[in-house]
Formats: sequence, C-alpha cells, structure tokens
Amino acid sequence: MPPHPCETCHTSRAQILRPSTGTRLCAPCFTLAFETETAATITSSQLFHPGERIAIGASGGKDSTVLASVLQTLNARYAWGLELVLLSIDEGIAGYRDHSLEAVKRNAEVLGLPLKILGYEELYGWSMDEVVAQVVRKGNCTYCGVFRRQALDRGAAALGVRHVVTGHNADDVAETVVMNLLRGDLARLGRGTSLVTGTGGLEGGFASVKRSKPLMWAYEKEIVMYAHHMRLDYFSTECIYSPEAFRGSARTLIKNLERIRPESILDVVRSGIDMARLVPGAGGEGGSRSRRVEAMSRDVEDDTGGGCSGGNGEDAGGEMARVEETLRLNERADEEGTETEIRLPAKATNGQRHDRDVVHTGPAGKVLSPTVNGQNHDRHRHTSNNATVPHRTKQEKKPNCKAASDAAPPRQRLGQCERCGYLSSQAVCKACMLLEGLNKARPRTGIEVGGAGG
Amino acid sequence: MTGPPKTRRDNVAVDDSLCRRCQTNAPTITVRTEPLCSPCFNKYVSTKIIKRMESFRVRHAEAGHERVLLLPLSLRVCSIVLLHILSQHLRTQGEKSGRTGYRLHVLYVEDGKGEASVASELFELAKQRYPEHTYSTRPLSDALALPGMQEVLRPHQATTQASTTTTSSSSDLSTILAKLTSATSRTDLHQLLLRKLVVHCAQSHTCEAILWADSTTRLAERTLAETAKGRAFTLPSLTTDGEAPLGVLLYYPMRDLLRKEILSYTSLVSPDLEGLILEEKPRPAVSTRDTSIDELMKQYFSSVEREYPSIVANVVRTTGKLLVERVGEGVEGRCELCDVVLRGHAPERSRLCFGCIRILQGLEAGG
Repeated sequence: MPPHPCETCHTSRAQILRPSTGTRLCAPCFTLAFETETAATITSSQLFHPGERIAIGASGGKDSTVLASVLQTLNARYAWGLELVLLSIDEGIAGYRDHSLEAVKRNAEVLGLPLKILGYEELYGWSMDEVVAQVVRKGNCTYCGVFRRQALDRGAAALGVRHVVTGHNADDVAETVVMNLLRGDLARLGRGTSLVTGTGGLEGGFASVKRSKPLMWAYEKEIVMYAHHMRLDYFSTECIYSPEAFRGSARTLIKNLERIRPESILDVVRSGIDMARLVPGAGGEGGSRSRRVEAMSRDVEDDTGGGCSGGNGEDAGGEMARVEETLRLNERADEEGTETEIRLPAKATNGQRHDRDVVHTGPAGKVLSPTVNGQNHDRHRHTSNNATVPHRTKQEKKPNCKAASDAAPPRQRLGQCERCGYLSSQAVCKACMLLEGLNKARPRTGIEVGGAGG
Repeated sequence: MTGPPKTRRDNVAVDDSLCRRCQTNAPTITVRTEPLCSPCFNKYVSTKIIKRMESFRVRHAEAGHERVLLLPLSLRVCSIVLLHILSQHLRTQGEKSGRTGYRLHVLYVEDGKGEASVASELFELAKQRYPEHTYSTRPLSDALALPGMQEVLRPHQATTQASTTTTSSSSDLSTILAKLTSATSRTDLHQLLLRKLVVHCAQSHTCEAILWADSTTRLAERTLAETAKGRAFTLPSLTTDGEAPLGVLLYYPMRDLLRKEILSYTSLVSPDLEGLILEEKPRPAVSTRDTSIDELMKQYFSSVEREYPSIVANVVRTTGKLLVERVGEGVEGRCELCDVVLRGHAPERSRLCFGCIRILQGLEAGG
C-alpha cells in the first residue's frame, strides 16, 4: 500500500485498510475505533448494568479471545464495574479442543480473569468423540450444539452468572440469516439476529440465562486484524467432524458477497433484523422481560458456527439432501391431497402436567405452571395432535398438514424437562432425549467411572 | 385400468417405466424425481400457471369490460412461455364461454443493452404468432423522464434545465449507468428503472395488474439478492401475489415453476418456442469482483436448482409467509428512486432508502 497518512490522526503512517469503512488507519487508531464501536453497541442497547457478573463463552478461538480482551479493556476504560469470568466448554474432541483450551488458559492468565472449564464428559457422560463413534457422523453437529447450549447455561449457573456473552460476529449472523432462508426456518429467522436473547430472570432456572453478542456488528476480518495488532493468543481450527452443510453453503455465499461488496455483510444482518419483525407471531426482539419465548432451547443452531464448518467435507450434501427429500415429500403429499388435518381442542393431551413436583429443578428451585400446548417433536410442524392415526399412505412420513403448514409458527410455551429441569417446551428436553438415544445404543461393556474419551 | 389414479389412496403399484401421472405413455422428462410424458408435463406447466390466474376467470369479468393485464415481455424464456400459455388460456376461455376473463397488453422495454435489432425482430415474431393481444414498446430511457427522476439522478443539472425529454435521454441513461462503478449498482438501478417504467405504463394503459414472468428460481435469487442489499423488508410486498405496493397489483403466475422446468417446456411445444427467445449472454462460471450481487445469486441458485429444487421453492415459500408491512396511504414518505416506504429504512430526513443510497454513492463518486 502506498504511503498514506492515517485518516484519523493524520500523523502516523496508515497500515490498515478497514474492510468495513474503507478508511486507511494506523494500528492504534484502528484498535481504538474497533473498541469504541463495540462500546457503542453495548451502551446504545444497554447491554450491561453496572456491577453485573458476565461469563464470556471462551473457546480459545479468535472471536472469543478478542471479545474477552475488548471487554476487559472497555471495562477498565469506562469503569463499568463488570465482573468478568471466562467460561469454556470441553466437547471432548481430541486434537481440536485440547489445543484451544490451552489457549484459553493462557488468556485467562494474561487477562487475569477467573476461568471455569466444563466438559461434556462430566455433564452428560459422553464426550463428542464418543458420540461420533456411536452415531457415525449423522447429525453429530446437532448433538454438539444442543449439548453446548445447555453446558454454557449450566456453567453460568454454577458460577452464579445470569448473563453469557459470546463472540458471534457479523459474518456469523449473516451466515445464519442466509442459512435460515435456505432452510425456510422462520422461527430461527426471527431470533437469530437478536443482539440479546433470554431474560436473565429466574423463572426458568438456569435456562433463562441472558445471551448476547456484543461483537455482532464487527466484521470477521476486522476481528482477525484486531487480534493480530494486539498480539492476542488464540487457536483457530475447524472442527474435524462433519461440516454443517447449510452453513457451509451459506458461508461460501457470504464470502463471495463480501468480495463484491464488503458492506453487504452488514446489509444482510440488517435485512435479517427487518425480516425478523415480519415473521408472523414474532413481534420484537429478545431482551425485554416478557420475552420468555427467547429462552427456548430447541434444535439449537445458535451454538454452532465458528469452527463448525469447513473441515473434511464429508457428508456435506447430507443435510441439504435430507431437507430436500422432506420438502419434496411434503409437496407431493400436498398436491395429491393425501393428508388431512386433524385438530384437537387446545388442551395438552400428552400428559404434560407440570404442577406436580419436579425432582430436578435448577438452582432457582421454582416450578413453572405454564400451559403446555400440543406437542410435536417435529421442529417444523406443530399444532395438531394426532390422537388417532389417520389413514395414511406410504408416502407420508410426518404428521404434516397443508393448512397448518401455511400458518404462523406457533408460540413456544415453556415448561421444564422431567429429567433435568432444563427449560423446554417438551416433557423431556432435547439433550435428555438425545442422551436417551445414545445410552440405549451404548455397548454394554460395564460402567467406567474413569471415562474413555480422547 | 379405469383411468389414472387420482390419489395414492388406491395404493396401486406404480410402474416406474411409465409416466407417473397417466401411467400410459413413456416418460420423456423427469420433473423433481417424477418421470412424466410430454402431454402430462405440458399439463403440469399450464396448470401451475393457470391456477394462479384464479381471479381472472371468465365468471369474474363483465362482457365488454374485460380487465386489461400488462405482461412485460423481456423476450427471455419465462416471459415467452407465459405469453404462450396465457394465449392458450384465453383461447380456451373463448371457446368455452364465448368471451374471456381478461385481455393482455404486452410490453417490451428496449433496454439499450445493444440487442435492440435482434429483440425487435423477435418482438415482431411474437406479435405475428399471438396477434390477439395489444403490443407496445418503450425505451428504458423513458424512465428518466418520469417525475422526480432527474432530480434524484442528476441533482446538479436538474435545477438549470427545464424540460428534459430530448433525444439525448438514451445517452443520459448510458452516461448514468457508466458512472456507476459497481456492477451491483448498475444492475440495481437498471432493475429499478425498468420496474418504474413498467408500473407507469400499466397505469397509463389502465391495466389492472402486472403479470411478471418470474420463476421460482428467479424469485429465490431476488430474495437473497435483496437481502444482501439491505432491502429484505420490501420482499413480501414485492413478491406476494395480489399486493400493490407501487399502486398497481402485482402477480407472479410462474412462481411455482423452476426455470429449468420452463426451459424444458419450450422444446415440447409445437411449433417450438425457441425461435422466439432472446438468448442470454454466456455467463462467467466463477464470480469475480466485477460480478453483481444479482449475478452471484443467479449462479448460486442455478447450482442449487440442479440438485435441490425443493429447497429453491422453499425459499420462496418462506418469504411468502412473511407479513407485508401495512402502511397508511400517502402519509409516509417514499423513497424517490424505488418507491418503498421510508420509515425505518432510511437515515433521518433522507429522501432515499438505504439500498438506493448505496447506488447513488457510486454515482457521486464517479461523477
């Protein structure tokens, strides 16, 4: 780059061409601008309150490392009085997590912040290596995502923290928007662009922990630049297990978009936010006291991304092909009129009574008495409960109804999992369900207390 | 067999070597994994389109006062097929009930991309083949003469010049487009002007609605392209049938057909339609910095369409479920270039929405 004075201080030589603004800056002015912009995101949405205890989801990768560093800096600079804690999850993937965990430990020392590491093995009795050995790459990302979301919440609860921040950046959010459009996931489209989700209240036990993404408007490229110029220590690698096929496709698209027009990343995010407002039944973003729906945990996507795509490329077409298959069958069934809609009165019929004593509750010990509507474990469909089995042909695989499928995604009602007390709209939360499946299939070689794992 | 099984409830064993629908003829084409014979495929395509024309059935029309619908003819595959099928439809309506539910006004916008002579020949051919409709042509540069355009696009000159519809308006257009440095902005502005002009023509010919020939694939491309330009909020009103965000009703009768299906159709009709179609220029296989966002999405979806056609359809369906923003008439300010409602989608006191600001940034930088 030809010699050019920094456009901010006009004194030093500019070393950096900012992708987001196209301005030429020297390193100190860039890092200051980056930090100031992050501060603006935080203050303009009143993300934190003074003296709040915040857990930083630290993976050892660039996003969370930069997040921790920036928050530490801003906390001191603006005297927010926040208590920062690093929280790291060990999925139990040999050769991947071990190295990044070391990076987290080093960071904790350098920043002088307390660190808690929570492993899948100790939480669930299964490390990801063991899960993959069992399910052989079919939906292993789903397991990881669901487990991780719970793990972060539980870890936060163990630390006595009501607010977790993650390093999701603008590229991540943009990818999520594109991905949800490709999948037709209106519910997630409505939630994925929220700066904050969850209430941080006590009503759901440890599962209503507030989540936010202070780096939501920061470009991935700039995060890399910041880490480089601040000489931050991080360890980035792609997860060695199957990539998320939709996210991989979305990621390529976003990268190509960025090449054509760098601002388009932010445009996608802005579009996502606009569309979220137009999702029927959604209405508003998380963060306010009344948005209990946001604390929901379903097939969690929110915790994949960032290390979860790329990789071997095996089974890359798998997920898209599966969705394609499902959609095609739905279309065919619609056209041939081989389905009928069966509606039952809106009382819960699966025996979901939550006023009995729930044995496992979260630290708050409160029992919810919500109304739980008809359940359906199919994440795309909803309302009707089929008490009788309708006359079906071999082509229908799921209880889908055309009329219902054109309606708005349902309001998700909250209850608690019977097994673990985690917040869930089903009787048994997703994690427990997955674990049940895993445990049933586990070869009976006796119970090892020491645990296998990598 | 007493006739084609209407539903699978009959549980008749399906012979995969025969057309899936009629189980009589040999299949000639596979449509989303179903093998179909030519007549059944023909029917498949026509039905999908005619289904969308429900509101224009004969019984909804008064004799002698049929509604006029505008069909913008780009002379590409989709618009030619739409013209063909609607002409057929009108003929059928006439045969069955002696009158029709609507009339078509076919409009070709000459867009100065250098294909003018080929295009006008094809336009003449179309006129000859379907003489029952009214036809007209307009140059795209006429869009610059629409109210407000000069002020928006050439703010420095608007104040000094009086009326501007001179012979130089077409060179105006090329000048303006040439000033835009990004391919995305050029394509965007081009599309906006085209739409503005078509709407204007629809209004001046008192057409009740515009029938756009966009396929599923095209609508999916548009969804992602507008999302990438920050204009996703316009999608529901601009892609849902029966909305009139710009003052005229918009319909997309081909929204249930993939582009590749429409392409296949052209060779199954006799005489075939290929002679009427304006060829697309060959596209680069890989996107470069000079590709436009719309082009990128075209490339993306042409590959998705090959392997996962239902996903393409699903994108359009999903967008269709989003609510259309309801706004009070006349109260809200509208973007001067693209006519969307400004509230919430533009900076303070701006006369343009974010998306159009991006286009014009290019203009000022170059000029």
